[in-house]
Amino acid sequence: MDARDLHDLTPAYALDALDAEEAAAYEAHLGQCEACREELTRLNEAATALAWATAAPEPPARLRSSILDAAAEERWNVVPLLRRSWAFRATAAAAAAAAAVAVGVGVWAAGAHSTRVVSAVISVGPSGQATLRVSGLAVAPSGKTYEAWIIPAGGQARPAGLFAGGRTAVVHLRGTVPQGAVVAATLERAGGAKAPTHAPVFSAPV
Amino acid sequence: MRNVTRELAHLSDEALVALMARSEQQALAELYDRYGRAAFGLALRVLRDETLAEDAVQDGFLAVWRTAARFIPEQGKASTWILTLVHRRAVDLVRREQRRRGDTLDEVADPVGGSVDEVAWLRLQRERVQAALRRLPDREREAIELAYYGGFTQSELAERLGQPIGTIKSRMFTGLARLRELLEETAPEMTWTPETSTT
Ligand SMILES: [Zn+2]
Repeated sequence: MDARDLHDLTPAYALDALDAEEAAAYEAHLGQCEACREELTRLNEAATALAWATAAPEPPARLRSSILDAAAEERWNVVPLLRRSWAFRATAAAAAAAAAVAVGVGVWAAGAHSTRVVSAVISVGPSGQATLRVSGLAVAPSGKTYEAWIIPAGGQARPAGLFAGGRTAVVHLRGTVPQGAVVAATLERAGGAKAPTHAPVFSAPV
Repeated sequence: MRNVTRELAHLSDEALVALMARSEQQALAELYDRYGRAAFGLALRVLRDETLAEDAVQDGFLAVWRTAARFIPEQGKASTWILTLVHRRAVDLVRREQRRRGDTLDEVADPVGGSVDEVAWLRLQRERVQAALRRLPDREREAIELAYYGGFTQSELAERLGQPIGTIKSRMFTGLARLRELLEETAPEMTWTPETSTT
């Protein structure tokens, strides 16, 4: 695609009417083309006016708290890895015998349009039973599912439950999570797999 | 909590975005209170499914939260930026779900209609934009509505409407440019204002 064709994509980009490949090419062009940046600002304003033309029923109240909770959690999750694991150790030590240990992981993945942060919080109870709470993961495509895995230190990955992704998924992990294990998730064919067949979408040591 | 929120109520959208860039969660809450409802209406229009619409709004607002530091006021209003991020998520989802497969063209029309409990300023905005849309030539309105509400790409539209892609591009361009002029004729700012939103 030459530059002239790319200039022509401004109205469609403003309406989000490009496919992922075209959008990526246009975004790269945007970085170098002042004229398109200016035109996009104008057309985007007009395109977004369409947002106001729709009826606006009251969203459910849980949506607000869900967004604010996820935002609060992310702030905690985007702390650089090293500092975060230190923080966990401190928490774990203080909590010692009784309380659950939470482990978080922030994953940045480049998408066509922007970056997405996936946060996973694993709460492990005193006897090793664990709950995984994942937010920000894209909904699994049809015919696929996310599968959680418990990987004991030096051992084989054990299937620990299926989930669909989406805004927030809570998974009560099957089996217990031993000290030093890793909890991970992969995208698998619907119904799940016996062993992971793909690279994990996230993994976190517990 | 309440007091903080009330203090923020006097800040401009752009000031709130600057606060968000410093991880002020109250600023996110305030922006949600201003635009969450419009965002949800938009997502619902595109996705026609409440659960998916909630996902799109949540993803969109979290993108707002994460990228606040990168917001450039010179490149448009904060409200436009927020709704753009929500719209993008909604379009991503509708394409993934292929919910619109088999839709006829007029099914993209607003399924909900006006709701009685809609706040006054939202209703005014809606009526104003709808009036401007009605004044667009049919073919231009069709192209931009199918793209924006239907989540169709320009190539899909060309095929669907049996037109060369160049024709679709120019309908989108003239439609948007004309819409902009029409909206400028009918003044008020499409942003939240404290006076009219307190009911
Ligand atoms: Zn250009």
